[in-house]
Amino acid sequence: MNEIIISILRSGTPLIYVTLAGVIAQRAGVWNLGLEGLMIIGACATILGIMLTKSVGAAILIAILACVLASVLLWFVIDRLKANPIIAGLGLTGLGIGGTALAIQSIFGSQATVTAPFGIPKLGPAFGSYGVLSVAVAAMPFVVFAMWVLLRRTRFGLRLAACGEHPFAARSVGANPSRMRLAALSIGGVLCAIGGAELAAGSLQFFAQGMTAGRGFMAFAAVIFGAAHPVGATFAALFFAIVGAIGIRAQLTFGDRIPHDLLQALPYLATVFGVWLSGKLRGGAKAASSFAELRDQ
Amino acid sequence: MSNSSKSALECRNVTVKFGDVTALSEVSASFAPGQIHAVVGQNGAGKTTFARVAAGLVQPTSGAVNVMGQDIRTGQVSESRAAGVELVHQSFAMPPSFTVAETMEFGATGKGGVFSRRGLIEKWRAHLAGLDVQVDLNRRIRDLPIETQQGIEIARALVTDARVLILDEPTAVLSPAGIDMLFARVRRLKERGVTVILILHKIREVLGIADTVTVLRGGRKVEGPLPVAEVSGERLANLIVGEAVAKTLDRQDRDALVGTKAPAHEDADQQAHASGPAILSMKAISTKPDSGGIALDGVDLEIRPGEIVGIAGVEGNGQKTLVRAISALADLEGGTIDLSGHDVTRQPLAMRRKIGLRIIPFERNVEGLSLTSSLWQNWSARELLQGSLLKGIRPAAIREACDRSLKAWSVHYNNSGQRAGSLSGGNAQKVILAREIDPDAKLIIAAQPTRGLDIGATAFVWQALRQARDRGAAILLISSDLDELFDISDRVVVMLSGRLNGEFHAPFDIGLVGAAMTGAAAGASA
Repeated sequence: MNEIIISILRSGTPLIYVTLAGVIAQRAGVWNLGLEGLMIIGACATILGIMLTKSVGAAILIAILACVLASVLLWFVIDRLKANPIIAGLGLTGLGIGGTALAIQSIFGSQATVTAPFGIPKLGPAFGSYGVLSVAVAAMPFVVFAMWVLLRRTRFGLRLAACGEHPFAARSVGANPSRMRLAALSIGGVLCAIGGAELAAGSLQFFAQGMTAGRGFMAFAAVIFGAAHPVGATFAALFFAIVGAIGIRAQLTFGDRIPHDLLQALPYLATVFGVWLSGKLRGGAKAASSFAELRDQ
Repeated sequence: MSNSSKSALECRNVTVKFGDVTALSEVSASFAPGQIHAVVGQNGAGKTTFARVAAGLVQPTSGAVNVMGQDIRTGQVSESRAAGVELVHQSFAMPPSFTVAETMEFGATGKGGVFSRRGLIEKWRAHLAGLDVQVDLNRRIRDLPIETQQGIEIARALVTDARVLILDEPTAVLSPAGIDMLFARVRRLKERGVTVILILHKIREVLGIADTVTVLRGGRKVEGPLPVAEVSGERLANLIVGEAVAKTLDRQDRDALVGTKAPAHEDADQQAHASGPAILSMKAISTKPDSGGIALDGVDLEIRPGEIVGIAGVEGNGQKTLVRAISALADLEGGTIDLSGHDVTRQPLAMRRKIGLRIIPFERNVEGLSLTSSLWQNWSARELLQGSLLKGIRPAAIREACDRSLKAWSVHYNNSGQRAGSLSGGNAQKVILAREIDPDAKLIIAAQPTRGLDIGATAFVWQALRQARDRGAAILLISSDLDELFDISDRVVVMLSGRLNGEFHAPFDIGLVGAAMTGAAAGASA
C-alpha cells in the first residue's frame, strides 16, 4: 500500500505544482497552454543548474529565473502584442520542448539523457518508507494551502479573479488587469520551475528530451476539471496521478493479457473523462476568460 | 479657480477623442456639493464618457478634473477614488460569481490581509444595512434580482468614504417601482452629505429627483448646471433633441424619446390594424433550463397581422428565451408554436424564416451582424441561407441589389464592400432593418431595436416598424424602455420569471404595467 502512495505522490507532486500555476493564470483570465513548455524548461534548467553549480538550491533558483522569464515573455506576447493566448501558450510549449532539446544538443553534442550527480534532498530515514520522497513532495501541501489563502482569502486573490472574470469591474476599482496578469504568470513561472525540478530531480536525477510527456497539458486539464479552484484542481491532479499509478500496477499484473499501450494511455483517458465530467457538472470552468476582454467596455 | 473651492466636482475644458471620434468636446461643468445633479442627453451625447473621465476610467485628451478644490491626476481610477469620486456603472461592474461580501471587499481600499469568510461578512454587514440593502452576504451576484444588484453596486461604490457618487443611467434597468426605491436611496445619500450626479435620459426623472440639470448633446455641453426649478420639461426636451431635429419629430414620438411625462399611447385608431388569423401562435410553451437565460414556463402568446405587441419586463425575466424559442434556438419542454398556420414546433430556424420570420436580435454587433464581413455579405445572408448550399452566387448582382436596398433605407456608407464594423450604431441597425424587413416578412421580432441609438435613429426604427405593421406584418417588440413600448405598441404583455404576467391595452397605465413587472399585482387590465 505504501508503495502505491509513494508512487502517486512521486508522479502527482510535479503535476500539482504545475496545476497550481495553471490555476492562478486561469483565475487571472489567461488560458495558459504554455504549462508544458514551462515545466520542461524548469526540469532542464534544474539538471543543468545542478551540474553547473553543484548546488540544488542554486539550480532551482536558475530554474525559477528561466521559467519566470519565459512567463514574462508569454505575458508580453499576449498582453502587449495582443496575440491569441491559446496560440501563444502553445508556442511557448513548442519553445520549451524544442529549446531544451537544442540546449542539450549544443552543450553536450548529443541528445542523450543528461544525468546529474545528485537531486533534490530526500526526507530521509526519519520518515520510514516515505523517506525516499523529496522535500518538494513534503512542501506541496503547504504550497497548496498557501495558494488557497492567496487566491481565496485575500483581496489580491479577489482582484485577480475579478480581472479574469470581469476585467472592467477590476479596472473600475483601480486594479490594472494587465499588471495582475503579469503577477499571475510570474507566480505561475515559479511554480512551474518547482514542478519541473521535482520531475527531473525529485526521485530521478536526469533530464531527457520531452520528459514532461504531456504532463503540462494534463495539469491544464486538472485546472479545468477543478474549476480553477486551487484545492479542487489539486485533487483533480491527484486523481490523474492515482489513475496513472493504477495503470502502472495494472501493467505489472495484467501486462501479459491487456495491451501495454492501452494501460499507459489510462491517465490520458482519465483526463479526457475528467474534463468531460467537469463540463457536465458545472458547464465548464468558471473563469472562461480569454474572451472576457470582449466585455471590457 | 475662484469658485472651484465651492464645487464638489468640476471639469474644465475636458475633451476626449477615441481615434477620429470626438466623444467630448471642451466640456466644462461645476457641481455644487450636497446636491443631486442630473446630466442628461441622448445616446451618444457623451454622458458615459463624461462620467468615466470623472471616475478616472477614461484619460481625457485634454482638460482638468477638480474634486473639492483639488485638481486630480486624470485617467487614474485610484486617484479619483482617493479624492472621493465613485462611479456606479449602467451594466453593473461586479464579477457575477462573487458573493456579496467578496464584491464589497474586492473594491475596498485600506488594510487588507488574510480574511475568513465569516470575518468578511461581519466586516460588511453593517455597511450594507446602513444603506438599506437587505441581502444575504453569501449569495452570489448572478443569483440576485437586478434591483438588489444595483443596491450592492451602490454599496460597493461607497465602501470608501465617497463624497461624489456618479450613477450612470441607473434607471435604465429598473421597473417603475425600482426607480422609486432608487430615488429614495439617492435622497438618503444626499442627506448624508454625498454629492450625487445622476446620468439620466428621461426628463420626468430629472424633474422628479434632481436639484440641477446639465444637458449634453453631440459631445458638447449645451446648458447647465441649471436649477431644475427654472427649466420646463418643454425646454429641456428641445435642449436634448436639438431644435433642428425636434422639428422633424412627431410630437408624441418626441415626448416618448425624452420621457417628458408619464408615457401614454394616444393613437386612437391603433386597434384598427390587427386583423385576420394569428401569425404567431404559441401555446403553453415551456423550455428546458439552460445557460442562455431563465426558462419559459407555459407561455401563451398570439400575434395577429398588423399589430405591434410589446413585451415589457425587467431584463432577465425570460425575454431572451422567448426570442430563442420563437427562433428555434431553445430546447422546448412542451407546447406548440404555429407560424402563419404552419406548426413549426419542430421546424428549424431556416424553415421558420422561409415562412416569414424575421429577427432584429438583441446584440446588434454579435448576433445581428458579422462586423468583420462586408455590408453586402451581411445584407445578403437572409436570402443566401434560404437557397441550396451549392447554389452559385454572383457577388456583382448581390452588391447591386444591396446598394439599392441600403439606399432605400438611407444607410450612410461608402461602398457595399466595407466592413459592417465600420458603421455607427444607427447605420448598422439600418443594415439589419434592410435585411430583415422585406415584403415577405410576416413576423418581425424586434429585440431592443433602439438600444444605444441616438434620437434620430430611434425615430427611424420606430417608423420602420410602424410601416411594416401597416403593411400587415406582425411585430413582437421587446424593450426595457416603457416609453418606447407605450408609444408604438398596440398591446403590451409583461414578462415576469419566464411567464406572461398580464396583458395591457392602450391607454397604458404605467402604474399597472409597473406592478405587473415586479409581480406586485397579478392579472390584466382592460
